[in-house]
Amino acid sequence: MTAPVLAVEDLRVQLRTPRGTAHVVNGLDYTVGPGETVAVVGESGSGKSVSVLALMGLLPARTATVTGRALLQGEDLLAMSPDRLRQVRGPGIGMVFQDPMTSLNPVLTVGRQLVEGIRAHQQVTRQAARARAVELLAEVGLPDPQRAVDRYPHELSGGMRQRVVIAIALSNSPALLVADEATTALDVTVQAQIIDLVERLQSEHGTGVVWITHDLGVVAGIADRVLVMYGGRCVEDGTVDDVLERPAHPYTRGLLGALPDLAEPLSDGRRPDLATIPGVPPPPTDLPAGCVFWPRCPVRGDARCETEQPPLAFVESLSRATGSSLPHRAATWCGEGAR
Amino acid sequence: MTQLPTPGANPAEPPPAEPIPPSRPARPRWRETLGLLARNPTAAVSAVVLVLIVLVALFDETLAPDGPNDQDQSIALQPPSWSHPFGTDEFGRDILSRVVLGAGTSLRVGFLSVAFALVVGTLIGLLAGFYGKWVDDVLMRLMDMLFAFPAVLLAIAVVAIRGTGPANAILAIGIVYVPIFARVTRASVLGVREEVYVRASRSIGASDFRLLTRHVLPNAAPPIIVQTSISLAFAVLAEAALSFLGLGPRRPNPSWGLMLADGRGFIEQAWWYSVFPGLAIVLTVLCFNLLGDGLRDVLDPRQRTLTAGSGR
Amino acid sequence: MSDVLLSARGLEVHFPIRSGGALRRTTGAVRAVDGVDLDIHRGETLGLVGESGCGKSTLGNALLRLVEPTGGTVTFDGTDVTALGRRQLRELRRRAGMVFQDPFASLDPRRTVAQTVSEPLEVHGLHGGRRERTARVGELLELVGLDPAVADRYPHEFSGGQRQRVGIARALAGEPDFLVCDEAIASLDVSVQAQVLNLLRRLQQQLGLTLLFISHDLSAVRHVADRIAVMYLGRVVEVGPAEAVGTHPQMPYTQALLSAVPVPHPELERNRQRIVLRGDVPSPAAVPSGCRFRTRCPQAFEPCPDVDPALQPVGPADGHLAACHLHGVVGTPVSREDDVPEGPTPGDAARAPRDAGRERR
Repeated sequence: MTAPVLAVEDLRVQLRTPRGTAHVVNGLDYTVGPGETVAVVGESGSGKSVSVLALMGLLPARTATVTGRALLQGEDLLAMSPDRLRQVRGPGIGMVFQDPMTSLNPVLTVGRQLVEGIRAHQQVTRQAARARAVELLAEVGLPDPQRAVDRYPHELSGGMRQRVVIAIALSNSPALLVADEATTALDVTVQAQIIDLVERLQSEHGTGVVWITHDLGVVAGIADRVLVMYGGRCVEDGTVDDVLERPAHPYTRGLLGALPDLAEPLSDGRRPDLATIPGVPPPPTDLPAGCVFWPRCPVRGDARCETEQPPLAFVESLSRATGSSLPHRAATWCGEGAR
Repeated sequence: MTQLPTPGANPAEPPPAEPIPPSRPARPRWRETLGLLARNPTAAVSAVVLVLIVLVALFDETLAPDGPNDQDQSIALQPPSWSHPFGTDEFGRDILSRVVLGAGTSLRVGFLSVAFALVVGTLIGLLAGFYGKWVDDVLMRLMDMLFAFPAVLLAIAVVAIRGTGPANAILAIGIVYVPIFARVTRASVLGVREEVYVRASRSIGASDFRLLTRHVLPNAAPPIIVQTSISLAFAVLAEAALSFLGLGPRRPNPSWGLMLADGRGFIEQAWWYSVFPGLAIVLTVLCFNLLGDGLRDVLDPRQRTLTAGSGR
Repeated sequence: MSDVLLSARGLEVHFPIRSGGALRRTTGAVRAVDGVDLDIHRGETLGLVGESGCGKSTLGNALLRLVEPTGGTVTFDGTDVTALGRRQLRELRRRAGMVFQDPFASLDPRRTVAQTVSEPLEVHGLHGGRRERTARVGELLELVGLDPAVADRYPHEFSGGQRQRVGIARALAGEPDFLVCDEAIASLDVSVQAQVLNLLRRLQQQLGLTLLFISHDLSAVRHVADRIAVMYLGRVVEVGPAEAVGTHPQMPYTQALLSAVPVPHPELERNRQRIVLRGDVPSPAAVPSGCRFRTRCPQAFEPCPDVDPALQPVGPADGHLAACHLHGVVGTPVSREDDVPEGPTPGDAARAPRDAGRERR
């Protein structure tokens, strides 16, 4: 295997809040290879967004404590000076957030913002940068890129704006692209376009992608590997087929059961009730002692659930059954026998 | 109601019980606000000082060592001493007593004029902001016209038409502040009007009156409260200014502005004559302003959301 | 069985575009809802889907006159909603409730759960007397799966799902026949969405409610709805039984929409053929002539720009309608100078007089 683009080791984030210390991310390990897409899945409050903000040094230093290592092509992002970090954003990491309007400066034209991004990291003339900007806009599928460079963000539709944000993120050919709920605010038809675009660009440039989302449908379409987060921990990871088709953790199963499954046959012409997970996620200021999912877990098949934190362990029987060589792990005491 | 289609129905299976969130006592908003205010030292001290000033004004007769107009020419223009801590004026009246007794006049004018502006201005702003369209156009253009007059000129005009005296000073200052309250209220209402919960109430058939009184006004109130505190400061100043110009309360009744005006003539022989009433004005105005700033911080909704979840 | 509770005919909501300046002349109109024909049957759940900006929310609001229609008619249980006076309108608001998208915004933060839920009771003078109201609020909270003991709490103490339950309790307080759920699960987490969907389905059966379920989430709509209506640029372009529309869509737009919905099965996702639409939805201020989908339609042909398609029966299923010329050219021919002030078209008389798109207060 080639060297990973990103290797996150034991990432922990604590935020100081008026209600006490919030343990938002509690020991996250994963790697992203070149050309690989890792989806980080979780509900609100699972810590998925904070975990990437921490990587990019975008958390307020006054209230956030970040520990662990995050090696971007061998260099630790968490140990970088602010100057070095600024250099790395761009050619190292490109970012796409949920709301394209907030990532774009409303008073500058699209072209101006692209040119500035390019010239901040590359020694090129203004004209060359502008030509590159037009090229990029064409690459992300903006119609009439020659004129689009002179437009302001508000003159573009939501989908087009998100394309521009992607163009900016890719303008310095980053090794890693981080997309945080990048298609959540978009319509499904536009979402399909954006996903196609990212996949195409990724295969052309060999970019590693971290795709953060709550939408398991999107995950199924885009991810190579999936990491399911709950209560700031990774509760399950593995290939997209393993995790979505053969989930081992009760939480992952609950999440999948809660989705309307149109492939399921009807009973008496009516769809069955959806499976639900009772309750709400624990507040990060007050996580349970044992398995984070224990208070809501329908299985609770082991005496250790309440008291002891389950390690992220290989789901051997399942992996063996499929003959998969890639690891499939889950942090649960009752994953194996609890079907 | 009609017959319902029941294919394979489970008629009344209770939904999964969601645990009720960790209990916090259901405290009304104003109690929470007071609690937060207590943690803001500047605002808290200001509030305490203001309460003291109000108490002094309420019990002025009891607290003042002498009567307001007890004259004793033998001790005219005496510097501060143990028997007269703030000194005496040209008629030998005790300045401390007159500052204490003047507090009532100054605060009464301040409070009543702001109350007038608050009621009228808030009503105008509420209607203009909520109904928009021509109502907004007419009311706010009117306010703009009022606003276009220099404040003091407007007050002088009112006094010129209606004559001097505390009641007219109150009216004059009140009218000056009406457009300010109207604008603050309107701006706040414009935001609240679009809130989903207002639409939700409308969707269940609530009348305009109900929407305005139960939902719009309470939620639009924070900036109005802040404005009230700050306007009180300015109203006390304005009262002093009007009195100073001889347009407010008439002599010999004590008022801080009047004393300042009278003391002006003796500023070289008797600094205490104007300094102590001046200090009283400064202290009161400062406290109202600081309290206003504190309230602005405390009533800011972002202050509250800090305590909510931090996962995203 | 399928008698119609609510029906819209040629319903229009046009918002005027005004020029700046003191005179504010009307320079055009955003045609948010533009000639919608729709029947909602008693006791059914009708799912209304479409992408953002297609007018589905405005339509839901216009049916209850929370947004004033500028043309066409809405009939609710036999009475013309567009002609109701103030008092009758209040009665309509009792009989038809609404559940909103964002449970964090739809509850007044300064009022307790009890105050919020009992507001309809006070407004309509139901369950007079403080004690009866308190009892009724308790019943309603139990009905939506909340402990009546929470009645004195403020909204900020609740999770999104619990708040949405409060919103549903408020909508049910007046014992309505009809409930509009406007993106009622869109801002909830997946597991909570499932809870609310189950709750809505249970309530619908238990209370015999008629439900209009507005959502951009096709999977959720297919899960709850008996019938589905698809909206595009202010018009219902396809409507029919949920199974028929969901599995055999007859209009190219519906086909594209369905093909874009991701499902949580990697195998299916890898092998699916997506119909990727070109370009963006045109602005509702400049609707294309004829079929409004023609500018993005992969199958557009000659009659599309010239004939405004009407809903016509399509496919094998009963009551499956689509507005598409691929199933035979049916509709109103359009004059080429469509943007010039309209000639005498059928909707004209109804369109002109009322104050356009004013929000109801």
